[in-house]
Amino acid sequence: MCSNKGDGTLKKVFLITIFGLLLGGCSLKEDAAELYLQEQPLHAEVVLPERITSEEPVPIKVILTQYGKKVEEVDSVEFEMWKHDDTNHATVEQPSELEEGTYGINKTFERDGLYYIKIHASKGNAIIMPKVQIVVGELSKSELEYLQKDLPEKEEGHDHHH
Amino acid sequence: METVINTTTKSDAQQKSSLYRAVWRWHFYAGIIVAPFLIILAVTGSIYLFKPQIEQVIYQDLFEVTPQGDKIPASQQIEEVKRLYPDAVISKYRPGENATRSSEVGLTVNDQSLTVFMDPYTGKSIGELNNEDRIMDKIEEFHGELMIGIIGDRIVELAACWTIVLMVTGLYLWLPRKKPNMSSVLYMRWNKGRSILARDLHVVPAFWITAGMLFLVMTGLPWSGFWGTQFQTIATNSGAGYPPSVWVGNAPVSTVTKDIAEVPWAAETLDVPVSEVQGFIPVSIDDVVQIANREGVHPSYTVFLPKEATGVYTLSAFPPKAEDEITMHIDQYSGAVLTDYRFDHYGFIGQVVALGITLHKGTQFGLINQLASLLICLGIILVAISGFYLWLKRKPRKSMGAPKSTSIKNMKLFLVVLIGLGILFPLVGLSLIVIFLMDVLLIKRIPFLKRFLHV
Repeated sequence: MCSNKGDGTLKKVFLITIFGLLLGGCSLKEDAAELYLQEQPLHAEVVLPERITSEEPVPIKVILTQYGKKVEEVDSVEFEMWKHDDTNHATVEQPSELEEGTYGINKTFERDGLYYIKIHASKGNAIIMPKVQIVVGELSKSELEYLQKDLPEKEEGHDHHH
Repeated sequence: METVINTTTKSDAQQKSSLYRAVWRWHFYAGIIVAPFLIILAVTGSIYLFKPQIEQVIYQDLFEVTPQGDKIPASQQIEEVKRLYPDAVISKYRPGENATRSSEVGLTVNDQSLTVFMDPYTGKSIGELNNEDRIMDKIEEFHGELMIGIIGDRIVELAACWTIVLMVTGLYLWLPRKKPNMSSVLYMRWNKGRSILARDLHVVPAFWITAGMLFLVMTGLPWSGFWGTQFQTIATNSGAGYPPSVWVGNAPVSTVTKDIAEVPWAAETLDVPVSEVQGFIPVSIDDVVQIANREGVHPSYTVFLPKEATGVYTLSAFPPKAEDEITMHIDQYSGAVLTDYRFDHYGFIGQVVALGITLHKGTQFGLINQLASLLICLGIILVAISGFYLWLKRKPRKSMGAPKSTSIKNMKLFLVVLIGLGILFPLVGLSLIVIFLMDVLLIKRIPFLKRFLHV
């Protein structure tokens, strides 16, 4: 609480209260959110090989956690995959549970290029759909351009690059 | 004017009458200073009450669309806006609450905030509106901060707080001193001459609207810049207010902090390692719209796009009825709902404040609500003007015509009330200190001022 009550030497207490309030004010507690409804969001970590090449099976794994703990049993988990220039031919695969909270597939990409994997996972009301961008083999020129299309002004970008 | 009572042994009646004059004096000065602001607040408030109807008329061409087939995905509408405004930074998207409402894309370009209205069925732009030009926003700015920013906000807040002082002193003065006679207290005396009529025109309506006025002040204060922010912070910290980020406090940050895909910078070649380009990329606005539908977010919501890599999508809807409010934060990489704060999740004070705000704005109960608030506003204007007129009529030429001041010792109870209000509303307290200092340092030392202000 921020307010004080004063009596006796009224003016002094009064002044101190007012200036205290004016200067210090109140600040929000960092953990204030814990006093209200809290969600239990699922969290996904995706494990990929350093380098992915086409025409050979690639292990793709997702580790699902909820508040830092591995999720014991999910309601559903699916991998939706497509090549960046071919959104119409998305494939959906059901990964198998490798260990607790860890699900994976072995995927063979037929061609080089830029791919996306969208992981649909749910447990109760917690539903997530993280999207991962992956590079198989070499990127074509158009794919590179696509990656850069949303770049803001070049100079500005370099300044902010880290 | 009345004679000075300054005897050491006071009878009960004398003490009462000096208290009466002291209260009157405060009511008098507070009234003269606050009345112009009350009139401004009441006039701008009366107009702003009808914002929904007014905007519906003046922006009809931008708001209304003809439904035909399915709506085009949000991402494509935003792409179109990007094509039309290549240098713009898109900040928000509003899908429109019903089938005949256009969708809106908010952006900033060349330091200007624009709203682009889109026909979601054709995917074409209907028109744009510079947020600076929105007349109702101007009215709101006038109402909330007299169009002069933070200083204006404090002035309005001060005027609102002093209105409480006016109401307390006014009610004291209104209380019938002799045997109760309901005319002149509750009813007007229309044919007792002009000065009686002028007095009744101030006192009687003032009594009738006091409750409404107090309600408008108390429901308006929580969104004031100084008192409101302090109040909201205390309420939120106690667990009884709005959850953080609805009013005070920041949105949560994304839970995904590593493995975020980087954008290669150089054209032609991939100048960063492949592993840097691989990783999470933000979910699309279409996913966010889908999540909003899935979670049953009120259709009048606006999506605020993440501003930085750690940011979140914020869905926010403050529709006419407080019960429909929602503030939801969605992780920009996983689409996880990080917080879902609705009216039911507010603490008790938060719910009261939220309901107070929709009542204050006249949206909670629709037209009835608007008309009731309008009546209070008109009453405030009448009372302010009639009070002012009362003063002009009685004012002697060479002084303010205020009742003579009495020693502070004669008004202990009143002083306690003032100090209480000063603690509850620090700006009132601060202004009391300023008045006190001015009195001691200036008015008491300058004979002309002393005479003029009848000290």
